Amino acid sequence: MYYRLNGVTQRLTGAPATAYNPQGLRPSVPPVSPPAIFASPTKLVSETGSQVEYLGANRVNEMQKFFQRADGVPVHLKRGLIDKLLYRTTMGLTVGGAIYCLVALYIAAQPGNK
Amino acid sequence: MPHQSHPYHMVDPSPWPLAGAVAALLMTSGLAIWFHFHSVPLMALGTALLVLTVCQWWRDVVREGTFQGHHTPPVQKGLRYGMILFITSEVLFFLGFFWAFYHSSLAPTPELGGHWPPTGITALDPFEVPLLNTAVLLASGVTVTWAHHSIMEAKRKQAIQSLALTILLGAYFTFLQAMEYNEAPFTIADGVYGATFFVATGFHGLHVLIGSTFLAVCLLRQVRHHFTSNHHFGFEAAAWYWHFVDVVWLFLYISIYWWGS
Repeated sequence: MYYRLNGVTQRLTGAPATAYNPQGLRPSVPPVSPPAIFASPTKLVSETGSQVEYLGANRVNEMQKFFQRADGVPVHLKRGLIDKLLYRTTMGLTVGGAIYCLVALYIAAQPGNK
Repeated sequence: MPHQSHPYHMVDPSPWPLAGAVAALLMTSGLAIWFHFHSVPLMALGTALLVLTVCQWWRDVVREGTFQGHHTPPVQKGLRYGMILFITSEVLFFLGFFWAFYHSSLAPTPELGGHWPPTGITALDPFEVPLLNTAVLLASGVTVTWAHHSIMEAKRKQAIQSLALTILLGAYFTFLQAMEYNEAPFTIADGVYGATFFVATGFHGLHVLIGSTFLAVCLLRQVRHHFTSNHHFGFEAAAWYWHFVDVVWLFLYISIYWWGS
């Protein structure tokens, strides 16, 4: 049984002359949907041909193993020597620069210099 | 990471916030020293320190997220909020310069001749290079969206090509704008017109350079397989920033180049 609410009178009316016919649903044909395709089958690497190793292989797994080593080293030093050198250069400039800045501002604040 | 029963990221102690703060101090003090004493070393040192700091800080963020797995969904949500708030603060930054422009141009003073553009200023034709620049940035907005969809659909080659094209379009914009700056018949010193024009478009250009750099880093990361089809927030943040840069240009074009000519 199919009722419809008339928005003007706010009353339910009985089944109209023709049944509700949603788009695509024909009265005599039972509803059958095509088999659902959830994902295209996974392509094997060997099937992809020239797409293999476009601009370099995937090294993320190796990097993940490397950076997850439980050696207690903080992330900014994890790569060893290169990280240490960069860190020391940066901290050198930080400390030296801060002192240079304070000296420059002290000189600039002197009344004689303008 | 093991040994924690919560999904949040407890970061390792890091020296980069301190280095960044000192870099900001050196850059701003250096600016004052340059203005008053014509001496650049302090400002140059600050800029060098800023570059070192941001490179190492964001390198560490990539290590923590992509290699150590710290960017769980709640952490990523926080990163999204952070990027949105940052872009909002940048919008407000530009709002100030638009305020300055409209303040002077809506009611031009008698000293300017009572009209806008002021007496003596030949404004650039908005339908020449500025219009081309608009088309270039709009096209780059399309290509960055293409890149996003390619990443989501795991189409590696297309993602790399569309991202590279986006960066090339950004570089083309920068080149065209540099040519315009070189050939403009007025300078930053030419009254309030020159000041508002070059400060607003100049800061926009700086943001184009920053956005292009961000996209270039994403290109490098995409080549190195850092992005997966459902986790690529670094790219999304770069794309948001790029769209913001594009929208600011549209406002600049409409207000300063077109209405203001």
